[in-house]
Amino acid sequence: MSQTASIELQGVDKEYRRDDFKIPVLTGLDLTVAEGEFLALMGPSGSGKTTLLNLIAGLDRSTRGKVIVHGQDLGDLSEAEITRWRAHNVGFIFQTYNLIPVLTAFENVELPLLLTSLSKRKRRDNVMTALKVVGLKDREHHYPRQLSGGQEQRVAIARAIVTDPYLLVADEPTGDLDRTSAGEILDLLEQLNQEFQKTILMVTHDPLAAERASRTLHLDKGQLVDDKVREARVPAAS
Amino acid sequence: MKYFTYILRNVRRNPIRSMLTIASMSISLFLMMILLSFFAMNDESTSAARIYNRIVVMNANGFAGMLPISDLAQIREMDGVLAATPFSWYGGKYKDEQMPFAQFGIDADTIFTILDEYTVPKDQLEDFKKNKDGCIIGRKLAEDRNLKVGDPLPLKGDLFPVDLDLSIRGIYDGDINRDLRMCFFHWEYFDEALKRTAMAGASSTSLAGDSGRRSGNAGTIFVKCKSADVMAPLSSKIDDHFRNSDNPTRTQTEEAFGKMFVEMMGDLKNTIYWIGGAVVISLLFVAGNAMAMAMRERTTEVAVLKAIGFGKPLVLFLILAEAVIVAGLGGVLGSLGCKALCDFVDVARYSGGFLPFFYVPWNIALTGLAVSFFIGLASGLAPALLAANSSVINGLRKVV
Repeated sequence: MSQTASIELQGVDKEYRRDDFKIPVLTGLDLTVAEGEFLALMGPSGSGKTTLLNLIAGLDRSTRGKVIVHGQDLGDLSEAEITRWRAHNVGFIFQTYNLIPVLTAFENVELPLLLTSLSKRKRRDNVMTALKVVGLKDREHHYPRQLSGGQEQRVAIARAIVTDPYLLVADEPTGDLDRTSAGEILDLLEQLNQEFQKTILMVTHDPLAAERASRTLHLDKGQLVDDKVREARVPAAS
Repeated sequence: MKYFTYILRNVRRNPIRSMLTIASMSISLFLMMILLSFFAMNDESTSAARIYNRIVVMNANGFAGMLPISDLAQIREMDGVLAATPFSWYGGKYKDEQMPFAQFGIDADTIFTILDEYTVPKDQLEDFKKNKDGCIIGRKLAEDRNLKVGDPLPLKGDLFPVDLDLSIRGIYDGDINRDLRMCFFHWEYFDEALKRTAMAGASSTSLAGDSGRRSGNAGTIFVKCKSADVMAPLSSKIDDHFRNSDNPTRTQTEEAFGKMFVEMMGDLKNTIYWIGGAVVISLLFVAGNAMAMAMRERTTEVAVLKAIGFGKPLVLFLILAEAVIVAGLGGVLGSLGCKALCDFVDVARYSGGFLPFFYVPWNIALTGLAVSFFIGLASGLAPALLAANSSVINGLRKVV
């Protein structure tokens, strides 16, 4: 890889405890993700894809090893610090969109900005820009129940990008969508990756979705078993 | 403030549940306001009597004992006395009413010097003084029964074997926390009726004999003192003066006299307070259960908020604010609503004569509101702490 390392995992182990049992999920994982990469994580259920995503997004902590994202060792951050770090650096896209049903599209997208010191006018500008990027500028007053699944996911993407994070993590972003809507969401993720140079980590079971990524990792039983790079799609950053 | 929209939308998220929680809170607080106000109002109105420098003389053995009218003249002669009047309970029934309103035989020349917080038009007072069968009634008593000056007011004896055919000569008025449902008539008129009945019976019946024994009784004597300083020494002096008579006296301030009636209710006040405590605890469970249900339904949502950067203190604040708003709305409706209702509607009118006046004191209404905020905080604390400390991973796993 010639690009600057955006994410580095060094000898990462992750195990969960269930009563007296230790359940290893990731074992001795080493990984480097370049800045601006669009990485797809594939593998069977229970292979550790989502756990890996959670470690990189700062939602969970490794049992052993280092997780360094954009030069920051996440293990050094306290609970409160890592929450703030997430707010500034990571945008989340979920399979079931996870929009707040009682808030409009605008208010959902505005949520992460409430944590900033931006003025109301500036927040509005940023929200409208994000909604414009996802093509839903005219749906700002709509509640999630008034939107289709694809539109809901677009709002979720707008919420993920509104703070302009450099890392987007998407856990099965097309898992609940029909083929057409899924294609549109993947187009959007590609656009965010290529036009806005967002580093994207996407967990998926769908090979067609993985094809949109510049690199595909296969995990099995907590270990990397395959690493395919599609050179043509890797952005030439350096 | 920027989170207010989110908090308010969550309050309205499940309108039926929120409405039921608010309703249970407001109804319970409304009833508590009524009960607590009854005691607080009594305390407040008896305490308010402190400024009028009045003392009350009664038989040392209580209301059943006699207080000879001859005592009145002796009391009037004492230093520090501005004015004194007999104050004799009659308790007659008006028309078909079962509960008598307050009726007292008094001295027309001094009553409104002594009860100087009441106002009565001068011409009406003069007319009352001139007519022995006249009476003066309170404004609310007149309103309740659609009575006006010049109307007859026949009262049928219940405790006493005499009927009084009174005519209304005046209507007095006063503040909200004073009794505007009393009727004052000439003590002499009442006493003469008792004597007439006794003489007519010529001791042939026990009833008439009873009338004879009851005449000449002042009931109690209300004394207006020249200053607050003389109230205690004058009370002692009166009691000392009549200590060795046939009818020794017990003299106390009007405030103490009023509290005596509250004390007659024994432990009822404490019982009400205990009930109030139990109501608060049950409301805690009601509100707490509603918040816990709301939080269980929002496990994933809370996890999403935390994932995108909402810290523990902020999550805690959002949930507590929601709980306080729901409980606070119940508090506003229950306590301030009760006060507003009692201010605009004359509740005492519908008490069948049990209450001369009723209002919810501000301190009680505000206490009710504070209690509702406390219930909101306390009921939201456990769900809020659980949500704030919940695992983001577990929360997201529910659907992801």
